[in-house]
Amino acid sequence: MQYPEPIAKLIESYMKLPGIGGKTATRLAFFTIDMDEDDVTDFAKSLISAKRDLHYCSICGNITEEDPCQICSDPSRDQTKVIVVEEPKDVMSLEKMKEYHGLYHVLHGVLSPIEGKGPEDINITSLLTRLQTHPDMQEVIIATNATPEGEATSMYLSRLIKPAGIKVTRLAHGLAVGSDIEYADEMTLFKAIEGRTEI
Amino acid sequence: MYLESLTLRDYRNYEDLNVSFSPAINILLGENAQGKTNLLEAIYVLSMTRSHRTNNDKELIKWDKTAAIIQGRVNKQLGTVPLEIQVNSKGKKAKVNHLEQAKLSQYIGQFNVILFAPEDLALVKGAPAVRRRFVDMEFGQINARYLYNLGQYRTILKQRNQYLKQLQHKKNQDLVFLDVLSDQLAAFGAEIVHQRLIFLKQLEFWANQLQEEITQSAETLTFEYATHLEDAADQTIEQLYAQLQNDLKKATKKEIFQGTTLAGPHRDDVRFLINGKNVQTYGSQGQQRTTALSVKLAEIELMKEETGEYPVLLLDDVLSELDDMRQTHLLKTIQNKVQTFLTTPNLSGIARTLINEPKIFHINQGNLLEEEEHTVD
Repeated sequence: MQYPEPIAKLIESYMKLPGIGGKTATRLAFFTIDMDEDDVTDFAKSLISAKRDLHYCSICGNITEEDPCQICSDPSRDQTKVIVVEEPKDVMSLEKMKEYHGLYHVLHGVLSPIEGKGPEDINITSLLTRLQTHPDMQEVIIATNATPEGEATSMYLSRLIKPAGIKVTRLAHGLAVGSDIEYADEMTLFKAIEGRTEI
Repeated sequence: MYLESLTLRDYRNYEDLNVSFSPAINILLGENAQGKTNLLEAIYVLSMTRSHRTNNDKELIKWDKTAAIIQGRVNKQLGTVPLEIQVNSKGKKAKVNHLEQAKLSQYIGQFNVILFAPEDLALVKGAPAVRRRFVDMEFGQINARYLYNLGQYRTILKQRNQYLKQLQHKKNQDLVFLDVLSDQLAAFGAEIVHQRLIFLKQLEFWANQLQEEITQSAETLTFEYATHLEDAADQTIEQLYAQLQNDLKKATKKEIFQGTTLAGPHRDDVRFLINGKNVQTYGSQGQQRTTALSVKLAEIELMKEETGEYPVLLLDDVLSELDDMRQTHLLKTIQNKVQTFLTTPNLSGIARTLINEPKIFHINQGNLLEEEEHTVD
């Protein structure tokens, strides 16, 4: 016996999500049938609204409801600094810190030829135009992940940006705050010693 | 360090095994297909978390069972450490002192073994890739930084090769990014070459001492690190980095055409020379065998120097392949300092008089029987 069409379609839709295969999708689909109709309507609405009402900010590339985003349109933020991150969720993490009041730029990925991502496939061109059109920009802080790809991306950006006379910095590597040295692995310790500071 | 005892549950053809070993020499005696090598493999897995015979961990589980457990008590200078490896269909867990380790890399290094199997003769005769893997495996086991550099280098190499292939089809080539990848590759590459040279120098010292003993000073064994980098041995990391960077730059056109990276330690080789002549091409069978033996045994001393303790030696069916002279030297090197496990189908080819009080186990279809009295025949 085959599944009735509405269920089959629902299963197929769930399977498009990352990390969900046939079995999980079937389980979710049958669960959805048993849910309250209000809940299902809300769920459907949030799916559509997430897609329709969210855009990428035309300046920084972050996700936003209105364009330009809140951060880009806030004149009280420090217009001389910009942090470059891989993904929108990195902006959220940095904002939680509440200590940084400059701007952001989201690359939507890192340079990784294996995944088919070259310099023209991530949000680099718009960063360069942004720097050209804002002469008061003084520092670009690169906050890509500490992976070989994140490292390559940061080196690439610094080569493009530095000739324009703008300061390029990179986040520090080392021990996590509140962690024990005992539990740190050898490479983290090595990086921490390399990047030690005078007190 | 030595292995005090071993417990196996549903591992290959062992259902439930509990055995204590001698800190000196343990002989595993048995017909073919009784589980001699399986036992050595279990000790190897306890050290390296993976088998030397297969990449598929599920093969380690006894037929029709769901999980295999290997437990061992390792005696070290600072006390005894219980180690455990669990393999099931979902993956494996490694425990030190009953605590699960989040990363396998944190586990490796707790218990060091060196395995010498008949295949190891390929170390001298085989392709350069065999020697590179030997160097990488051995140095990685004793130096975490080398292992890290190697991992980073491999990732960057993959990225760079892929980018070179993509550049073949592109009209406006972004060579700045290729340059960045070259710099990254050169930075890790230079460190790898530098570390390899240091380790090889140490290994050469011990290997040559053994070679001279075995051949009664007739042969001098030297290593030569074959690389396109000039005077690599006398250069600092910075100089090696500059050279590698330069070599990559010069090769760019050809690299894009071929779609692969043409310079770097992933193309280097190690040559073994006896009295200045390459053993691979000019050495006799016997010389090749002696060289492989010297290089492997040299590792024992190198590991002692780097980690402060002797590793455990696993000899899979090799003793009978060596003549009396070589056996004597092998036994002289390990006697009274290195715990050794050796497998053999019979004792006839073994110079048993040379072995002080061995513990002999008869293996029969996954069961171990310890020989009570051993008389020299």
